[in-house]
Amino acid sequence: MITYIVRRTLYMLPLLIIVSLISFLLIYIMPGDYLTRAQMNPQVTQETLAQMRAAYGLDQSVLVQYWLWLKQIILHGNFGMSFETMRPVFWTLFMGGRLMWTIIVSLSTMLLTWMISIPLGIYSATHQYKPSDHILTFFGFLGLSIPNFFFALVLLWLLVAVVHVGPNLGISGLFSNYYAQQPWSLAKFGNLLWHIWPAWLVIGTSGMAGLIRYMRGSLLDTLSLQYVQTARAKGLPERTVIYKHAVRNAINPLVSMLGMSLPGLVSGSLITAIVLNLPTVERAFFSALQMQDQYVIMGGLLFFSLFLLLGNLIADIMLAWVDPRIRYS
Amino acid sequence: MKKTVLVLLGLLLVFSALAIAQGYETMPADAKIIPLGQADTPYADAQPGVRGGIFYCATISNPKKWNDVTAHETSTTQYTGLMLEGLISTNPVTVAIEPELAKSWDVSEDGLTITFHLRQGLKWSDGEPFTADDVIFSFNDLYLNEDVETDTRDILVLPDDSYPVVTKIDDYTVQVTTSVVFRPILNSMGANILPKHALAQYVHKLNPDVPVGTFNSAWGLDTDPSELVGMGPFIVESYTPDQNVIMRRNPYYYHYDPNGVQLPYFDKYVVLTVASQDVSLLKFRNGELDALGIRAADVPILKSEEAQKDFTVLVNPDLPNYGTSWIGINEDIGLAEGTHDNERALFRTRDFRAALAHLVDKQAIIDSLFNGLAVPQWSPVSYLSPFYAGRDYYGGPVTEKDAVIFEYSLDKAAELLDGIGIVDRDGDGWRDYEDGTRVEIELNTNAGNTVREGVCLIVADRAAKIGLKLNFVPVDFNTLVNKLFASTGELIVLGLTGGPEPNNGANVYKSDGGLHFWHYSAADNPTEVEKKIDELLNAGVSTLDNDKAFEIYKEYQITLAKDDLGLVYTVNSAFTYAYYNKLGNGNLSSPVATPGGGGLADICYFK
Repeated sequence: MITYIVRRTLYMLPLLIIVSLISFLLIYIMPGDYLTRAQMNPQVTQETLAQMRAAYGLDQSVLVQYWLWLKQIILHGNFGMSFETMRPVFWTLFMGGRLMWTIIVSLSTMLLTWMISIPLGIYSATHQYKPSDHILTFFGFLGLSIPNFFFALVLLWLLVAVVHVGPNLGISGLFSNYYAQQPWSLAKFGNLLWHIWPAWLVIGTSGMAGLIRYMRGSLLDTLSLQYVQTARAKGLPERTVIYKHAVRNAINPLVSMLGMSLPGLVSGSLITAIVLNLPTVERAFFSALQMQDQYVIMGGLLFFSLFLLLGNLIADIMLAWVDPRIRYS
Repeated sequence: MKKTVLVLLGLLLVFSALAIAQGYETMPADAKIIPLGQADTPYADAQPGVRGGIFYCATISNPKKWNDVTAHETSTTQYTGLMLEGLISTNPVTVAIEPELAKSWDVSEDGLTITFHLRQGLKWSDGEPFTADDVIFSFNDLYLNEDVETDTRDILVLPDDSYPVVTKIDDYTVQVTTSVVFRPILNSMGANILPKHALAQYVHKLNPDVPVGTFNSAWGLDTDPSELVGMGPFIVESYTPDQNVIMRRNPYYYHYDPNGVQLPYFDKYVVLTVASQDVSLLKFRNGELDALGIRAADVPILKSEEAQKDFTVLVNPDLPNYGTSWIGINEDIGLAEGTHDNERALFRTRDFRAALAHLVDKQAIIDSLFNGLAVPQWSPVSYLSPFYAGRDYYGGPVTEKDAVIFEYSLDKAAELLDGIGIVDRDGDGWRDYEDGTRVEIELNTNAGNTVREGVCLIVADRAAKIGLKLNFVPVDFNTLVNKLFASTGELIVLGLTGGPEPNNGANVYKSDGGLHFWHYSAADNPTEVEKKIDELLNAGVSTLDNDKAFEIYKEYQITLAKDDLGLVYTVNSAFTYAYYNKLGNGNLSSPVATPGGGGLADICYFK
């Protein structure tokens, strides 16, 4: 098992390099560069533009630029600078607690979603084809189908135009105007919860449908197996049959799904974060994309790819840990 | 014991005295008094106010740095602009040039030397004295320093490619000498003045210990806000990414109201970063923002709540914002590649461009895309500029007596096209070239800009009515800009920002200008009309007399609009703004200055 983990970790390195090369080429193919917007400024002369191009290294060939960038990372651990802020790439992506807030929002949403979806999925499976099953499925798919940005906007509109929440509670952002400038207190924490719950509702409902159906399907499969029939024949109470035996086996595929949600912790629901004004890493990345701030884009892509690979690895490890039938050589 | 208590009390008194002593003890003799509420001044409709309160407005994107000199876009300069002032400024109501850090100036007989007399006794926001050294530092060591990456250097360049020479006469007198008479130099000298005592350490020229180019990274977002120093009304206090920027009052600001109250009135100025304009509208309606620049589509929603929620929606359908919107016709299409001969010949025919101008249904654009809140445009110079040719004299009222209008007329357009031999030769309903190939022209704009896309659709529709085939293809913004600069586009719908100074567009309209994108080949081979335009633009900066310059620029605008027609202008959005009625002096809002845009930040207050 250890050798398997070590081997997988070693595979990540060349994978990341290939990802970085493809991303760099894609950025190069994108028309224009960071200075294209500056070109449209009537007051900037061609000489100044040429000077800026040289200063940013944008006048060299793409492979030269890539090689210089790679060399800096390998030799100095320097991931480059953002052209916009003139500061290191990862400082620009993570500054001001972005990484912390991203993880707080995503993690709390994920926990809530799972804590609600699993029991609902189990309920759905044990009450298969009853009206309650259909209702749960309907609402699950409703949450999935409504586009997140629209849902978020409608939610905010409801709060302002119908409920008239007012400026003391506030909408969107992390805090209301007043609490944004106050030190931490119980009241400030309450205000934070008030600002985060729309994110839980919007992002959570879109994830719930899938989870509920997965849990339901997996449990139904398990419940149709022979050993469940045997357990019932033995005279075990239904609750023990379901929770101690069936669910414990049915949950295996979902455990590996949990690992796959790891990349979603740091990237995901960009548009919801824009509408609800939450400071996430992906928003900084998106801003860099719009400005073609290429080293920030590269840094961001590497970061997200790393989490994707880690998520894959964790998913496989957890699967092996939970299911004794799976063993890697 | 008693002695210790007395000593401690004494120390306490000293410290509290020092704390209270923050700010001027008495109003400086050279303070700038804003004549709020006084008749026969631009501020006759304003009121003096009271200090206090926190002002909230919104913006779309985060600032990128706190360095005004190296900033490239408005998301940064909206903050740095509030922290700094220049020698002169433009009045937020009349757009006239008025004294700011310089209390007066003299221009020499030959117009080549301006002597600025600085206000005395002023202090930077950290208490250090403001002197001519700061002005010399800003110009000679920052703006004119080749090591510093700034856009401002390009504004200072003179017609003969030299730069003004800025010299210190004494601690409060600065002289600026130019090699040729350059009228806009006064405007250019309004560039922000930076503090020498805080920034000299980052300039290699003055501090050889730091590498060249250090200043370009100075005052970045990771700087402790307590290090930021300026002469402006507010100084940045804190920044939370994607949330807000909080600015505090500058205790040493030198603007005072007529009652001797030091400005700004607000204690704090907070700008919330709200990425979605729909959400900022909701926040305004929720009472979280005190003022907001709104879109034409937002006006009906807000008007219905105006009375109940006690705010004002300022709508002036006849007052356009700064800037130009146009259809660019590429007269160099296929020149380098040796292709598109038919198109190139067609685009270079003035009557074709005139026909296109007659095809732009401006009223339909105004009604369907702007809810009626837009103004037709015909001139390269913004309506608000005192040089706008729709005025009778410099700074006079707009009468549009001399406006060059190509009215929407399918008949005139068809007639012009017939006259140049573009007729339907094969009976398929579409016009053809002389050689029989069908005329098919591609019309581009940037995808995602719904207004521009709408303009393209309307123009293509009207063109189809007279048999002219225009194919509308929206493209990504950067691709569009590339087409513009590589002269590979055909018709491109886009816009440019504008300002009160016509010469700021010189780079666009001069035959050898770097942004003369519809006819780059004119640099080697200008047409007669283009030569005339070059002459007029050169003449416009060679006289210091604004009235003479007005006549020159009037001829320039009329020539451009009637004979050159390199760009066919469309419409400009009208000014719309909303603010809560508790905001005093919000009624002065105009495209020139608003409380949320910073121009009125020092004179607005809470009633």
